[in-house]
Amino acid sequence: MLRVHTPAGPMPCREAAAAQWRMLPSTVAVGRKRWAAAVRCVGANSAVSGVEEAAAAAAAVSGGGKGLAERLRLGSLVEDGLSYKESFIVRCYEVGINKTATVETIANLLQEVGCNHAQSVGFSTDGFATTPTMRKLRLIWVTSRMHIEIYKYPAWGDVVEIETWCQGEGRIGTRRDWIIKDLATSEVIGRATSKWVMMNQDTRKLQRVTDEVREEYLVFCPRTLRLAFPEENNGSLKKIPKLENPAQYSRLGLGPRRADFDMNQHVNNVTYIGWVLESMPQDIIDTHELQTITLDYRRECQHDDMVDSLTSQELTDDDGTNGSAIAKHQEQEHRQFLHFLGLSGTGLELNRGRTEWRKLVR
Amino acid sequence: MSASIMASSSLPLPSSSSSSAASARAASDSLDVRGFAAKTTSSTGAMQLNASSVQATPITSSSAGGLKYENIEVEDGSNSSMALQTFYNQLPPDWSKLLVAIATAFLATEKQRSVPDCKVRRPDMLADAFGLGKFVKDGSVFRQNFFIRSYEIEADQTASIEALMNQLQETALNHMKCAGLLGDGFGSTPEMYKRSLIWVVTKMQVHVEKYPSWGDVIQVETWGFPSGKNAMRRDWHVKDVETGKTILKATSLWVMMNKRTRRLSKVPEEVRTETEPYFIPKVAAILDDDGRRLPKLDTSTATHVQKGLTPHWSDLDTNQHVNNVKYIGWILETSPISILENYKLESMFLEYRRECRRGSVLDSLTTVSAGADCINGNSESGIECQHLLQFEGGAEIMRGQTQWRHKQHRKNTGSVGVLPTASS
Repeated sequence: MLRVHTPAGPMPCREAAAAQWRMLPSTVAVGRKRWAAAVRCVGANSAVSGVEEAAAAAAAVSGGGKGLAERLRLGSLVEDGLSYKESFIVRCYEVGINKTATVETIANLLQEVGCNHAQSVGFSTDGFATTPTMRKLRLIWVTSRMHIEIYKYPAWGDVVEIETWCQGEGRIGTRRDWIIKDLATSEVIGRATSKWVMMNQDTRKLQRVTDEVREEYLVFCPRTLRLAFPEENNGSLKKIPKLENPAQYSRLGLGPRRADFDMNQHVNNVTYIGWVLESMPQDIIDTHELQTITLDYRRECQHDDMVDSLTSQELTDDDGTNGSAIAKHQEQEHRQFLHFLGLSGTGLELNRGRTEWRKLVR
Repeated sequence: MSASIMASSSLPLPSSSSSSAASARAASDSLDVRGFAAKTTSSTGAMQLNASSVQATPITSSSAGGLKYENIEVEDGSNSSMALQTFYNQLPPDWSKLLVAIATAFLATEKQRSVPDCKVRRPDMLADAFGLGKFVKDGSVFRQNFFIRSYEIEADQTASIEALMNQLQETALNHMKCAGLLGDGFGSTPEMYKRSLIWVVTKMQVHVEKYPSWGDVIQVETWGFPSGKNAMRRDWHVKDVETGKTILKATSLWVMMNKRTRRLSKVPEEVRTETEPYFIPKVAAILDDDGRRLPKLDTSTATHVQKGLTPHWSDLDTNQHVNNVKYIGWILETSPISILENYKLESMFLEYRRECRRGSVLDSLTTVSAGADCINGNSESGIECQHLLQFEGGAEIMRGQTQWRHKQHRKNTGSVGVLPTASS
């Protein structure tokens, strides 16, 4: 399988925030040197997690332009340099109605650690986590699918450790995977995976990943296939059908708010998650907890667009086709829903999604 | 627990209180953002600090190559938090690993996590990369550091005002927690909780000098003191850790309200007593509360209006109230695009009147009250706007006044400007 380094962030626009970082040399040669330096440092002292050594080495190689935060961040490439780990504490305002972190908070942290990974290997130079070849060809990464599973939501003050890495996905794109652990217990509390494709930022047309681009990423990806969801037929692979008309629940006329835009005036990925959840009925929100969300990103929302969020319950395969299926569902611990985000008026699809909910233990 | 410390910002206007069920449900509408530490009863299970024991005992960890740690001693004998004192200047190789190892071991042994229990039982070792935060200046000020994360950055490459306000909120709550004063996990002190009292914010004033960028580390200091018989004040001073320059200064005014009756209340003597040790009148407020009242915007002359705003699920805190910081987002929503594009919010003066919840429908109105003719130009004197946030029926939620300075006129422009190019 071809290995391609996946960029960190969500839609390309978010990556532009990475431009904030002190400029890191963009050539792969320097990137390799830095990584090699990091590995050397780590190798020299195997007891060291490579945290500051790697970062400091990287800083030294890149000219030491790194800021204070960079040097002190509780995140680093792991020993082999092929994945990146960072810890975050859950802040009070990131906690929602269940007294635990919201899925948007988790998604934001996934993006953050992805950004930092890209930055740590020297990719985020112009804010798009692109390779030099991609920049020449005006190509950027865009998310095509995001799949997040949370087994246990962290509460205020909890520290989560997120590990992330990339893999290639043939000629179509790359994937970025995450594992989320509770730092105190080392328990895995969540997993996530995402698929990315390449798009020309001017024409907005998708493009295949070329050999040239793949070359530039090879060094940063694990040598062997490593998946956050290694099990067969896992949820991250399931196709999402289009909602049938009419939807059971809807929330119409959602619009991007000022805070939903990032650098390039694009709506960031996490906002779509919020929109999808907006049409969930109150009684589910009150009694259940989001376990899984899968989102297929089809089209971007523009500045002045209005969005309709539609939701319908999805009956699983276990149910019979007779009327009692619905009743059975009401009592079940798990509920499953299909979602559709479309432009108000035209109904043009922006996203489709699936969510699974488990009953809250109160 | 959540950001509801600023959530229920309502003064007890009769029309605003909904059913008693709702009031009862608002178990923790408390808004106390002051840490008034005292000897709290051990039944809270919260970290407890003696005012006298606030001064830390420095220890040197040899394995960290001479890095000093400050431990805040707690009555139960366990170390509740660590603060790295000299990390700016020293980068021991295994600093992070040591910190993480200690945190892991400590948290694993001390873990008492019960989500439904609103009292804080769990001692926090790592509230942030730099520790929970610590008391400084003889215990009168609480200080905590934050990394600016990428998703807190907005379109012009600097942290959004909402992100900064959120961090003020976080620090305030951690101040309470570290002082052992989280009676109900929401900012009410134990004595307040017994009396069903909560803090309600009435005024907020913020002045931003420089917006931080992604990757910056900011240091937030906060403190509180009484303001008259019935009100409390909480101030913040935020600095850039690396440069030492001020990022922002803020002050807020809080009154006490009975959450059941929704009536204003005097600060009871017991609350004064328990909060007194951390309640240092001598610390000067940063911003002078000039006692001004904001005029109400004339709705007929508002130039920019957005109707039908509704809270999303993610805007709600644990009590299903809208976080105060979201209100700021709503009033800025309605600011003219030309201002948002060319000017940076420099200061904000807000008066909170009512709270809102899921299902509320709001209107946001804005008028440019000064400098309107200069919006598209380059105004030296800046722009001033008046804002009003109200229910669609007309009941007022919040009024505000904002001052904006031209992006090019900022003293410290941060990284506003052109994206670094790929060629470098």
